[in-house]
Amino acid sequence: MFFIPGPVIAALTFPGVIIHEAGHLFFCRLFKLQVFDVCFFRFGNPAGYVIHQQTQDFKAQFFVSMGPFFANTLLCVVFCTAAFLPVWELKVFDPLAYFFYWLGLSIGMHAFPSTTDLSHLWADAPGLAKKGNLLAIVSLPLAAVLVVLNYARVIWADLGYGIAVGVLGPIAIFKALAR
Amino acid sequence: MSDAACSRCGQTFPVRSLFDLNGNTYCGPCVQKTSQEAEERGQPSAYMPLINKSICARCNTYIGTSNNAVQVGGLRFCAACGPLIKDWDYPPWLKLGLAALLLLLVVALAHGRKYFRAGFEMYVGEHLVEKRRYAEALPHLQETLRIAPASDKAALLAAKAALLTGDVGSAGKALQGHNGGHFDDAGKPEFQEVNNMWKRAMDALEKAERAQKLEAEEGKEIEAAQLMHEAASMYPEMSALKFAAESYEEGVAFLRKDYDAFLAIAQKQWKEQAMPQTAAALASALACKYAATKNISFRQQSEEMLEKARQMAQGNADALKNLDEFAERNRYRLESGLIINKAEYDRRFRGAKIASK
Repeated sequence: MFFIPGPVIAALTFPGVIIHEAGHLFFCRLFKLQVFDVCFFRFGNPAGYVIHQQTQDFKAQFFVSMGPFFANTLLCVVFCTAAFLPVWELKVFDPLAYFFYWLGLSIGMHAFPSTTDLSHLWADAPGLAKKGNLLAIVSLPLAAVLVVLNYARVIWADLGYGIAVGVLGPIAIFKALAR
Repeated sequence: MSDAACSRCGQTFPVRSLFDLNGNTYCGPCVQKTSQEAEERGQPSAYMPLINKSICARCNTYIGTSNNAVQVGGLRFCAACGPLIKDWDYPPWLKLGLAALLLLLVVALAHGRKYFRAGFEMYVGEHLVEKRRYAEALPHLQETLRIAPASDKAALLAAKAALLTGDVGSAGKALQGHNGGHFDDAGKPEFQEVNNMWKRAMDALEKAERAQKLEAEEGKEIEAAQLMHEAASMYPEMSALKFAAESYEEGVAFLRKDYDAFLAIAQKQWKEQAMPQTAAALASALACKYAATKNISFRQQSEEMLEKARQMAQGNADALKNLDEFAERNRYRLESGLIINKAEYDRRFRGAKIASK
């Protein structure tokens, strides 16, 4: 395993950071939460952030925390699907396709919510899950997996996730269409 | 720093020593009592130093007791920050960036259209190969290779589908079209599988070629048929080899003067593949039966089959030429009642020195 400083990785995959923070901002606005500060990209740790009002509404909390995960994953699948065939299956050298694949992977590898995003969810979900809140029940295992994956970033779990989504997503789509 | 009065005990204290609880100002001892009472009543009981409420929670500007300040939960913001946090707008560059991203997405999808087609055809082909519907799969995979001839997967799948339908020509075209037959990862199981099939097909074709040469030699009919059967069993997917082996059996039956077997095979072949050659072979077998039995119906049938062969060969100069040559021998067989092979006929009537059937 080789070490590349976080800011270098963030710089190489900056579209993903911007999309991730834009996702947080979008859901804050959607749920009418006050936003105190936003940084879409910087050379530092974290590479971007959205500081917003805390809320007791679990639905708002869930979507503000997890929204970027879903949005980045979806965009990763879409861009990688557009470029997957020439890059992986057809072995056609097409620079534009490689550009789209880079864009898709950059977005995909910044899908994970930060540990701070997850901590609020993690704190409230168990209590609500006991009361039968469906979203809380769903969010518990998801948050647990994401916490583990977040720690596994040191072994490139984020890149692995991006590649997995960017490869398996298009394969699943094309195979489903071909049947 | 100014002084302010505790709302409970009424005494005046420096602002830095006072606290805020639910919008009221308290001194240290009073805030603790009030907080405890509020907690007992189930009301909000959290308090904070009053000084924290005097500065903007976002930009730290001193706001004191300004009426323009905006209160959000327990936090106060200056007049400049207040509207911003209530409706934090997307920066213009982000809106432009997202619009550009959408445009890129459209470009990506439009640009990838031909690849989608190629990929879609490949996955359809792969699905059909998995279902062992090889003949149906081949055209799909060939369409993929037309757009992307360097695709390992499509080339190997097309070659596999072609080989498993006995179409060696298409398999060779798919493999040769891929970097002249070169594959980077020759250790892949998919490559090994196709490579083994290809070798098997080539060995069978080599045997078939040898059988064909033997069959052209007089008296080697049995050996030729045996070799062609070996080729057919080595590569059963190629039905033409089995068909050829059967037709070589006609020669063996003729050699053994087993005209019933000759007729049975010729009839079967004609039923399976109606073409000038099988029609002529059946005409030949019927003529043999006539010569052996003098049953006029065999003669009539033989002449009818020969006529059918002629009709089917219309437009095919080579086939017509071969039929003219055969018709002469067949007529001789029907009229003389003598059964001789082509080599003997050539020797007797054409003055040929080199025997050929």
